[in-house]
Amino acid sequence: MTKLTVAISKGRLQADALDLLQRAGLKLPIESLSTRRLAIEDESGRYRLIFVKPTDVAVYVEHGVADCGIVGRDVLLESEPDLLQPLALNIGLCRIVVAARSEADWNQFGMLRVATKYPRIAARHYGARGVAVDLIELSGSVELAPVLGLADCIVDLVETGRTLRENGLCIVEVIAESSARLVVNRASYQLKAEAIGELISSVDEASKRSEQ
Amino acid sequence: MSETLSRIPAGMRYYCGPEARLRRAIETAVMSIFEGWSYEEITTPTIDYYSLFEHGMGPAQAHRAFRFSDGDGRLLAVRPDVTSLVARAAATLFAQRERPLRLCYAAPVFRQQPESHTDWRRESSQIGCELIGANSSVADLEVLAIVCEVLQQLGLDRGCSITLSDIDVFNGIAEELKLDPECRDQLRRLVDTRNRSDLEQFLAQYSATEDSRSLARLTQMPGKGEILNDARRSISNSRSRAALDRITCLWSVIESLQLTDRFEIDLGDVSRLDYYTGLTFKIYLDGAGRRIGSGGRYDGLTASFGKAEPAVGFVLELDALTDILLARRESNSPTKSEAEPTPITGSDLADLFRAALDLRARGERIVIDSDEVTP
Repeated sequence: MTKLTVAISKGRLQADALDLLQRAGLKLPIESLSTRRLAIEDESGRYRLIFVKPTDVAVYVEHGVADCGIVGRDVLLESEPDLLQPLALNIGLCRIVVAARSEADWNQFGMLRVATKYPRIAARHYGARGVAVDLIELSGSVELAPVLGLADCIVDLVETGRTLRENGLCIVEVIAESSARLVVNRASYQLKAEAIGELISSVDEASKRSEQ
Repeated sequence: MSETLSRIPAGMRYYCGPEARLRRAIETAVMSIFEGWSYEEITTPTIDYYSLFEHGMGPAQAHRAFRFSDGDGRLLAVRPDVTSLVARAAATLFAQRERPLRLCYAAPVFRQQPESHTDWRRESSQIGCELIGANSSVADLEVLAIVCEVLQQLGLDRGCSITLSDIDVFNGIAEELKLDPECRDQLRRLVDTRNRSDLEQFLAQYSATEDSRSLARLTQMPGKGEILNDARRSISNSRSRAALDRITCLWSVIESLQLTDRFEIDLGDVSRLDYYTGLTFKIYLDGAGRRIGSGGRYDGLTASFGKAEPAVGFVLELDALTDILLARRESNSPTKSEAEPTPITGSDLADLFRAALDLRARGERIVIDSDEVTP
């Protein structure tokens, strides 16, 4: 029996991802979900789930330590890992946007200062339109940057837009829509084709069922 | 020691002990298999003109090379690839030789920019062979048979997968859609990452449902011969059909040789469109997160060096092979203990080295015990 290791993003996506996998037929022990264990097995012994930070999902899967993973498209756009991504899932829906203070005067900016957790997405976005920007890489609370004058705008992931509004920011443009993806390691896809094919089709069905 | 002297540049490393011995043993084993199939070893320049690699590998791949300028200002590169150099030699140095040419090599290649996050090495060793001047399924099968022999001799034929595809299956469909180069590359990337969801969206712009169905075929899971029958049912353009016929021909021979457990058909393999012209294959092994070798037909390559002729070949990553064999050896049996060397000692230096040379002449393993020597 082929055993698959599936890496799951901790945090925002975790509960939805586990729910989706359960609907796809994985039997996850309920008590283990509430604990702080970083790895659990489903009851059939066919799947091992590991819980890692979102950006690390791509790392584990790309190295083949995990065969597949569930991770946001934002992570894939930012780190550009060499992975297969056979399924877009309808969980973790959000947008990558440019946001600025509501009263910001765009004509006044010289060199645009952009604060972000996504330097590569931001660089590609402004690079495509030939705008030179000063990228300020932050690791959290990005919304503060325009408020305190560290940056003119931010490039960030937005789910409901509430944090933006509460900090007096509004969306200027949407760079990309993001949702969770099922990603697969290139070697596992070939060497464990049968098991992976089964997982893909059962997750696909479960995901489409919930859409209706 | 100061940090500037002790520090090793990213992607470089030393090899020693069992690992170094194993590397050497693998290289020797593979090169002797190549010799057994009448491939002649070729040693290429380590440094050559950048434009050669740009022609040979395509700009995107060549850009990864370490580059610097020659005394006359021309751009040089430290070899990022051996095939380009072999193809140029075939078109120039060996232009008058009888065809087909069978050439093989074992050499390090150097890449400043990694291709992926897992590709941390900037110096890696490649072992490969090229069959130039033969355009037939016979030549394709010849290199596939060599791959099989290599895997078997190295004891890696269990838990391996050689995936077969033909680049023209994709090319035929893309041609039908009449895409500009940028869209074509976007489509290629979606197929390469098996990104079905985005592929559906992309194709919604084109009304041709038949082509959409055929493209969806390319992203389905890899499998055995039935993949070809499925594909034939939904793909009708002549270029793709010819490619499918070529793989079918290979597959039927693989079936007769009872080697189907080592092969898969994966029509979604479109990673190097600018390079390959027909058959492509990749080699995967249990325990390695990425491919350990790849190859295919590149009929367009030698033309850029002035002599158009068909060619097919493959390359194996020595470092990846060593990692796997080392890991498997450790899990199976602890490293076999080598015979202890005979210590040589004595107070007279001439006597000592006479004894040493005598034992060496008989092929014995010795070690000069210099602590005991009192000159």
